[in-house]
Amino acid sequence: MPSNITVVKVRGVLMVTMPADPDDSTIGELQDKALESMEQHGASALVLDITAVDTVDSFFARTISETAQMVGLMGGRTVVAGMQPAVAITATQLGLTFRLVETALSVDRALDIVSEKGERGRAP
Amino acid sequence: MNPSLYQMVSIGGEGDIVAARRAVREAAQAVGFGLTDTTRIVTAASELARNICKYAGAGVMHVRHVERDDRAGLELDFVDKGPGIEDLEKAMEEGFSTSGGLGLGLPGSKRLMDEMDVRSTAGRGTTVSVRKWLRS
Repeated sequence: MPSNITVVKVRGVLMVTMPADPDDSTIGELQDKALESMEQHGASALVLDITAVDTVDSFFARTISETAQMVGLMGGRTVVAGMQPAVAITATQLGLTFRLVETALSVDRALDIVSEKGERGRAP
Repeated sequence: MNPSLYQMVSIGGEGDIVAARRAVREAAQAVGFGLTDTTRIVTAASELARNICKYAGAGVMHVRHVERDDRAGLELDFVDKGPGIEDLEKAMEEGFSTSGGLGLGLPGSKRLMDEMDVRSTAGRGTTVSVRKWLRS
């Protein structure tokens, strides 16, 4: 099966870019690949780029939260970057919470966050 | 009926949820919804299509352009012949789920849309209809 998820390591941080409209198997693959790569590369953080994503439903949100929790248990941080305004409005009204997930306006800001040792911004 | 105003998508598995989302996105844009409302409608469709997969295994989604009092809107009907919803009142409660999910599907989708009707008969199936109207 061709993979839809690419994991790139940049300066000790794993970067994963999600496609615009990922199906359930792609979302499941995100979790497997992210955890595998954390171990393989000894990464300290996972940056999940959702700039292109135009729909986040409860299944996707739950997978992101679970992945963040698992990455946390492995000693890493997870930052979700680039949520579109329409997606943020919809996610809030739907009631999604993104527990244990840090967020950033862009990938650039996410990399700033994970390179700072101190302050940890968190999704409400 | 004008085929551009009506579409049916069969939902037989989780792979069809993406097809359902695409059909709804196109229809919402055709009605004239902006990006935020389109995102709301597509997300509600994703939740309700997934409910069909989770609880009934298979079903169909009907997508219709509708009009009422000179306002245009979009109606989505999710129809399955699954086990039905045992306690509809509970199913509409935030955080209630019989599947180990987040329990956001029905109440969350209702918030994203303007109207929601749920008809369900135990052992016969469930129909969830949602509508969103263009703001004039």
